[in-house]
Amino acid sequence: MTLDAYVLIAGFMFCIGLYGVLTRRNAIGILVSVELMVNAANINLAAFAHFGRGIDGQVLVLFTTALTVAEVVVGLALVLLLFRRRKDILVDLANGLKG
Amino acid sequence: MTPSTLALLSLFVPLGAAVLLGLLGPLRRTGRPAAFVSVAGALVALAGAVAILAGGDAALKPGAHLVWGWLSAGPATAVGIHVDGTSAWMLLVVTLVATCVQIYSLGYLHDEPPAALGRYFTYQSLFLFAMNTLVLAPNLLQAFLGWELVGLVSYLLIGFYFRKPSAAKAAVKAFWVTKFADLGFLIGLVTLYAKTGAFEWTAVTPVAGFVTLMLFFAVMGKSAQFPLHIWLPDAMEGPTPVSALLHAATMVAAGVFLIVRAEPLFAQAPMTREIMAYVGGFTALFAACIAVVQTDIKKVLAYSTCSQLGYMVTALGAGDTFAGYFHLSTHAFFKALLFLGAGSLIHAVHSNELKDMGGLFKKMPFSGAVFIIGAVALAGVPPFAGFFSKDLILEAVEHHHLYVPLAALAIAAFLTAFYMTRTVMMALFGAPSHAAEHAHEPGIDMKLPLGVLALLAIVAGFGGSWLAGLTGHEYAFHFTLVGGAGTAIGLLGIATGFWMFGPAQGGAPIKRGMAPVGVFIRYGLMDRLSTVAYGLMLAVGAIIAWIDRYVIDGVMNWSGWILLVGGRRLRGLQTGNVQDYVYAVALGIVVLGAWGILR
Amino acid sequence: MTDHILALTVAAPFVAALLMLLVPGRNHPVLRVIGVTGSVLSLVGAIYVALHYDQAKGGLQFAQNYPFVPSFGIDIRLAADGWSVALFLLTGIIMTAGSLASATLTNRPKEFYILLLVLVSGVFGVFVCQDLFVFFLFYEIAVLPMYLLIGIWGSKGKVAPAGPFKSLWKDLDVGGKEYAAMKLTLMLLVGSAAILVGMLAMYFAMGGKSFDMVAMAHFKFPREMQVWVFPMLWLGFGSLAGVFPFHTWSPDGHAAAPTAVSMLHAGVLMKLGAFGVMRVGMILLPEGAATWAPIVGAVAALNVIYGAVSAMAQKDLKYVIAYSSVSHMGVVMLGAATLDPDGWNGAIYQMFAHGIMTGLFFALVGLIYERAHSRWVPGMGGFAKVMPGVAAFFTLAGLSSLGMPGSAGFVAEFLVFAGAWKSGHLMWAIPAMIGAWVTAVYVLRATKMIFWGEGPSHEFHDLHDAKRVEWAALWILGTCIVAFGCAPRLVLDFIGKATSEYLPAIVDAAHLVAMGGGK
Repeated sequence: MTLDAYVLIAGFMFCIGLYGVLTRRNAIGILVSVELMVNAANINLAAFAHFGRGIDGQVLVLFTTALTVAEVVVGLALVLLLFRRRKDILVDLANGLKG
Repeated sequence: MTPSTLALLSLFVPLGAAVLLGLLGPLRRTGRPAAFVSVAGALVALAGAVAILAGGDAALKPGAHLVWGWLSAGPATAVGIHVDGTSAWMLLVVTLVATCVQIYSLGYLHDEPPAALGRYFTYQSLFLFAMNTLVLAPNLLQAFLGWELVGLVSYLLIGFYFRKPSAAKAAVKAFWVTKFADLGFLIGLVTLYAKTGAFEWTAVTPVAGFVTLMLFFAVMGKSAQFPLHIWLPDAMEGPTPVSALLHAATMVAAGVFLIVRAEPLFAQAPMTREIMAYVGGFTALFAACIAVVQTDIKKVLAYSTCSQLGYMVTALGAGDTFAGYFHLSTHAFFKALLFLGAGSLIHAVHSNELKDMGGLFKKMPFSGAVFIIGAVALAGVPPFAGFFSKDLILEAVEHHHLYVPLAALAIAAFLTAFYMTRTVMMALFGAPSHAAEHAHEPGIDMKLPLGVLALLAIVAGFGGSWLAGLTGHEYAFHFTLVGGAGTAIGLLGIATGFWMFGPAQGGAPIKRGMAPVGVFIRYGLMDRLSTVAYGLMLAVGAIIAWIDRYVIDGVMNWSGWILLVGGRRLRGLQTGNVQDYVYAVALGIVVLGAWGILR
Repeated sequence: MTDHILALTVAAPFVAALLMLLVPGRNHPVLRVIGVTGSVLSLVGAIYVALHYDQAKGGLQFAQNYPFVPSFGIDIRLAADGWSVALFLLTGIIMTAGSLASATLTNRPKEFYILLLVLVSGVFGVFVCQDLFVFFLFYEIAVLPMYLLIGIWGSKGKVAPAGPFKSLWKDLDVGGKEYAAMKLTLMLLVGSAAILVGMLAMYFAMGGKSFDMVAMAHFKFPREMQVWVFPMLWLGFGSLAGVFPFHTWSPDGHAAAPTAVSMLHAGVLMKLGAFGVMRVGMILLPEGAATWAPIVGAVAALNVIYGAVSAMAQKDLKYVIAYSSVSHMGVVMLGAATLDPDGWNGAIYQMFAHGIMTGLFFALVGLIYERAHSRWVPGMGGFAKVMPGVAAFFTLAGLSSLGMPGSAGFVAEFLVFAGAWKSGHLMWAIPAMIGAWVTAVYVLRATKMIFWGEGPSHEFHDLHDAKRVEWAALWILGTCIVAFGCAPRLVLDFIGKATSEYLPAIVDAAHLVAMGGGK
């Protein structure tokens, strides 16, 4: 497979993720979509590392994965709190920071 | 001791007394002990001044000069002392009158609460220091320091009865008017400094004309020349001894002294001198006119002081420095005497009004006698002090062909004799008023200074030649036509006064006929002028302050308000909905991408 | 130890503030002792510097470099010249008096003292800092605590709606303490932004290697750049010095601020602005200064008379004094604009003299307000009977403010007028002199209305003279006014030394500009 294919898949995945983030009302759905976007980036990193020189990209993938886990932990915790307080997890109703 | 040491003593001992009383509150509040500290200081200063003169001419001829760098290390901006004949004699006049006045005050202010008495004597000591600073000034810079300081003490002393609204008003008015005139001094001083780099009395400079004109403006304020004389009559709100010392004998004469000192500068400015002669002549006449119609004994004397200062200024304008200086000295003695004598009368009847007096001569023969001595000295009756100096002034003015001022002075001489006769007749003779019935002579502490000054008012005129020698001038009394005429006019004035106000009251119909004129003069325009000017200034202030608050600050508030309102409008963008923000980010990426491609 | 005297003096108040963090907020006596000690230590440091500054040698002394951000060429370069010595003394005196004057404060004294001490550290820093970046840093440290100090401890006033911008009143709460705090901070921060731009322009014009002000003073910036950077610095620093029309924060700010803050703010903070214009604007950009001097001077002359006339119409005592500060800072800027030795000496001396004088004024106003619970001048009268000490000191401060010989104010004003005249700017000197006279009018009028006349009316039942520790501040400042008025060379010699070092370069630049050549 060529680099193009990887990049294409990654781009496709990123767009799906972006679409999900923009359209889902459910917080869990948004988190999942964010995961998709992050993983699209990961694919790119791994692919560039493979076709390019050095292993910086692969190292970064590992780093990102760890980061994603942490992010999901924090994100889910927030969602949980949101649910406890509001009895739903619809993000468009949680606009307490409205100006 | 050398003259410089003695002068330093005369300068700093009163300062020491003032500082001591100023800083030691408990001592000051004891009243009489504090007063004795001040009187002791004045006596030491007087002794110093006497010792300087007793030391003889030899030491004074070159003049002892002692300076310290003040603003910088060099002599250009120095302060110190300069003792020569002129300053030594002035020092004696000032310390002598001050001592007399301080001793007199012990009796006059006997009933004041101790704390107020202490405050009074603190100011008195401070005044002596300030005046000596001016008198001993080695250059114009120090003269200015002393000049301002005496103005300050004048303000404090006029406002001595600060709880009286009229006194408070008079004090600030005096300060504002003289301070306004002092702008002239400041401008002159700064000009001199800018052009010559120093403040020498003897500077030779092409800007002398401007400098002297500015200095004269300040003199007009301090020495109460028309139209800046308006503060002096109000200043009579102060205690009478203060009027005697500051507003008759010494402080108001500071302007004349300044011109005497700065003679080399004024000699380069014939134009200024001519202006001085006319202003002085007019003031002498104008103030004498007003003095005629006053009903308050202190106001008579105040306007009389204005008028006599006008004489001195005219003499200086005629270029005869010595005539002005001589009249300054004699005037200091007899005018202080008149004020202190008037103080005795006021003290006895508890009123300044002439109508509350009357027939006091019988009750108070001593005070009455010294008052009359002062009055004839002022009227220029030979051989009293005022005769010689006035004679010299008339002669000098005539000699310089200043006929208009001469005429003014001659009429003023008539009026002077006239109003003094009127005052004497109304206060001392005639039917006693109710208030005058219980009048009695003051104690020895008030009589002693009166006696000393009365003696001087009689004999000081004979010291003219000696004084001339001391200050490096030539003078010997000799009879001249104009001088004789002046004396005759004075005697005529006395006769007229006696005719109109004496026991016979022959001129009563004339008196009644002139009454409306008197009222017109008394409530003339001039004294209102300051009120108008003050109101105008407050109005300008109010307008500017309004503009500042509501227009200039308004623009600032408006620009703040724009941000506030703009923010309020823009806050709608902050929906609080996470996905809207993501949309914005996505949009941003698209825009950036498009820009990147199209660039 | 003594090599680091400047750093120690700058740090002393800051360390005191840190110490205070360890003390419980309830423990007022200990807090007070720490606060006063910190201030007194810095005053001792300032006096030490004055005594050990070698006048014969002149120049920058006690120099020390402490690396800060070496990669950008930023070091904490501390060194004192003659000006620093004088202004150091001023800051020490005012801070000592201010901390004594706030000894009676009961509302959150811990936080109050901490902010005050931090602020003073900043002020000390500005006066001895020879690195432009750190100079700016200290400047901001000095300015920003003001926001909290006024916003929390301030007092309310009210300004009636009127004028063309009347409709805004409901949104702005004009006159309130929050309003005053915000206005002051915002206006000064806009000024700071301008300073920052000017500062960076200079940094990059020198190649972006160093913020060293000594090097900058020797570097010849291009004329075109100087001509646009100087006004940025003038208006930037000038907004703190009350330059017209950016002075309007000053009356509101001073009126709303608590006593010690007013003292420090009018006493030393406004001087930072004028000092910045001279030390940074004029010395580093001589040709820009020479080009703009006529305008700086004209605006300053306007300031003098405008401030004085505005003060005349004020009815609130604090506003009277605040406008008088605007007027007197005009004298400072006027002296600076003369580019003449006497003018410059006068400008720095006026900073010193006005600092002490206005410090005394605000201390007294605080005392009067505390007792009368009013600042409304027309309602007062006859206070001298019950508070003679306060009346005496008020008169003294007033005399200094109107330039009475024997007080520090005279020396300063006289030098500035002389400088203006010598530099040929008659048209500046005359309004300034008239302004000084108008000062006499409103100061004595206020004195008369407050203290003279019939005894205080019955609504003031709680009046009494200053007590115990309150006397301390009054005596310190009052003594300084007289001492520095009678013996000006105590500080004038220091000031003159530094002026003679800095001025020639600027005079040369002015000649170049006047001839239109030398680009």
